[in-house]
Amino acid sequence: MEKERISNIQLFLHLSGFLFGSTVILSPARGAKNDAWLAILLGGAGGVLLTWVYAALATLNPSKTLVDILREKFGNIAGSIISVLYIWYFIHLTSLVMRDFGEFICTATFPQTPMIVVIGLFAIVLVYVVNSGIEVMGRLGELLVPVIPIVIGIISLSLITTHDFTAFLPILENGMEPVITAAFSFISLPFGETVVFLMLFKHLNKTDKLKKIVIVTAIISVIMGVLVFFRDISVLGSDLVTRATFVPHLVSLLIPGLNVEPLVDINLLIGGGVKISVCIYAAARAVSQVAHIDDYRKLTGAITTFCVVLSLWEYENQIEMFNWAEKVWPYYSIPFQIIIPLLMLLLSLRSGKRKSTAS
Amino acid sequence: MMCRKIKKRTDRVLIACLLVFLLFLTGCWSRRDLTEISIVAGIGLDRTEDGKIILTVQVVEPAAVQSTASGKGGSAQQKPVFAESYEGETVYDAVRGILSVVDKKMFFGSAQVLIIGERLAQDGIEEVLDYFIRDHDFDYEIYILVAKDTTPMEIFEMETDIDAIPSVYIYGTVDNTESRGTVKKTMLIDLIKEMSGNEKQFAIGSITKAGEMRVKTEGVAVFRDGKLAGWMDRYETRGYLFAMDKIKNAIINVPAGNGKIAMEIMRSKGKISVEFNNGELSALIVNVKVYANVGEYKGKGRLETPDSLYELEKALGEEIRKEITMAVEKTQKEYCSDIFGFGSYVRKYHPRYWKKAKRDWLAIFSELPVIVNVDAKAERVGIVMSPIE
Repeated sequence: MEKERISNIQLFLHLSGFLFGSTVILSPARGAKNDAWLAILLGGAGGVLLTWVYAALATLNPSKTLVDILREKFGNIAGSIISVLYIWYFIHLTSLVMRDFGEFICTATFPQTPMIVVIGLFAIVLVYVVNSGIEVMGRLGELLVPVIPIVIGIISLSLITTHDFTAFLPILENGMEPVITAAFSFISLPFGETVVFLMLFKHLNKTDKLKKIVIVTAIISVIMGVLVFFRDISVLGSDLVTRATFVPHLVSLLIPGLNVEPLVDINLLIGGGVKISVCIYAAARAVSQVAHIDDYRKLTGAITTFCVVLSLWEYENQIEMFNWAEKVWPYYSIPFQIIIPLLMLLLSLRSGKRKSTAS
Repeated sequence: MMCRKIKKRTDRVLIACLLVFLLFLTGCWSRRDLTEISIVAGIGLDRTEDGKIILTVQVVEPAAVQSTASGKGGSAQQKPVFAESYEGETVYDAVRGILSVVDKKMFFGSAQVLIIGERLAQDGIEEVLDYFIRDHDFDYEIYILVAKDTTPMEIFEMETDIDAIPSVYIYGTVDNTESRGTVKKTMLIDLIKEMSGNEKQFAIGSITKAGEMRVKTEGVAVFRDGKLAGWMDRYETRGYLFAMDKIKNAIINVPAGNGKIAMEIMRSKGKISVEFNNGELSALIVNVKVYANVGEYKGKGRLETPDSLYELEKALGEEIRKEITMAVEKTQKEYCSDIFGFGSYVRKYHPRYWKKAKRDWLAIFSELPVIVNVDAKAERVGIVMSPIE
């Protein structure tokens, strides 16, 4: 199990798929209306820094997972307790993504299908993927993630005639405040969520380029985010962008003479699939390490089932989900995404220094 | 030996599982066959006197359309379409209520036109359109028209010999505005965009009855705050479309001597802007650049020197300028509705001024002078230069 390896390009694609997983259906930072592009750039800058922190943490602690690092830095008991909190966080994140996915399919594609069928069938496939191991996940990413930019390209180019390129004006009509709020939530979703990759980084076959890969991926996803935002707003206008439930889906409905809605579904299946499988893998690995179970595969089925049930149970309705994702999730995530990783980084830097002075 | 047996058995189980999966591939969860749905070609919305919504649908009978098209029809033939209407508190209420008189469930994805009755237009259309935006069945590119001096039901009951399906015929007449420019092609999505925000009023193409078996789509209905404010005729409409950069091709008559020259607009570029003077808005500006060819010379005259074409250009520019000025002034003085989107322009490029002007924008707008600059170019004269002497 320890011999499993993924290559640089596989990590790059997996990370991009992960960062794009939710943004393919929920347009990020739309609380800032026409200034969302500023929020994406600002939040993106923060996001790049944050992902750099995770990469630095992984390079300072080579061949260690998040659980190993936590135990080393905070001691066995405290480390295990924090690990359990992280496991909860990963499971919660999985259920959120599943619910996003289910809500989208039930709104846009299969309005009469019960959500449990949609999420359940998807979960069965993902359990199979996760059980096949990290190498299979990597290769699957290599195969599927390149489809996402192709689909985005197809949709954007088909709409080039209906663009109104001045729709994002005026700049900063409502001042800086909504921009900063939106930027902050953009940092935590999706960039902060890459904290789950701390469970995966040790499988990278060449760790020397880790920081570079992570930062390049983050920058690319910021650029994609800005481009997609300009496409959306110039096609829909600022008012409709803020009112639409799923912006990219609505955009795809507007292509003249063509029905390409399923393309958005494909993007979602790929992005969401990458995101959920990484989260389930991370949660299962973390549980197996904390509880000293030799094979994480024994746990994936149980964890996924739990996530499916949780995802159906956690919100009463769709608006509650959006509200929670926008107003509560970023703050709820602060300790997991920012405070604990930063603490670990500081501790790692100190012990690293001590080691170098000792030798 | 034993091992191979077990492997064989697992293979069998696997195949059995795969066969079970085949059951999932039989079709979609909520599939609807062609024989189980009513294919809607046109939708009409109007309002009763006591404020209820009247929904009218024009439904196609595919089998009957085919026999009409192939010309085999006898006298006892089924009609290719029928129209039905129903009253409801909300649009969706009427959509489902109509099933008490029509047997098959409506399929709206195929609807070509949405016709809004005059009374509903006067009461305001913003709130009734929500259903069409929210429901996932609708095509956002459906054409919207406002019925003038008639009701949607009358239009949908009309029997035309042009096309088996009247809605398709109406759709076609709106679509061909590309070569005449006298009606505004209003798609649902464009309307949604124009309706959003308080700075922009909107206009929708209009439809009238022309005889027993025909309709005419000409002119636009001008709305203020979502309510019908008035109508514009085909020349004003063309002026409006010139300013909005929506003209693809059109024929403009230019007086020449005692006759007329019909100029064919080949390309047109329209742009609106505003002028500021000492921090105050001083004028509304419309800039239009057109390229035209001589299409017809009705009368006697010569078109052989470059000077004659320069004069023609000037006269053409003047004609277009008149149409645009007419349109802007009518919306300013009579309807007080900013359908050109000057307010939207000010908001985008002069946000600071917009903040204080936003409240009484329509009052400011209707008082401002209009400057229309038309730069017309006559390029070619066609196969002959001068008409018969």
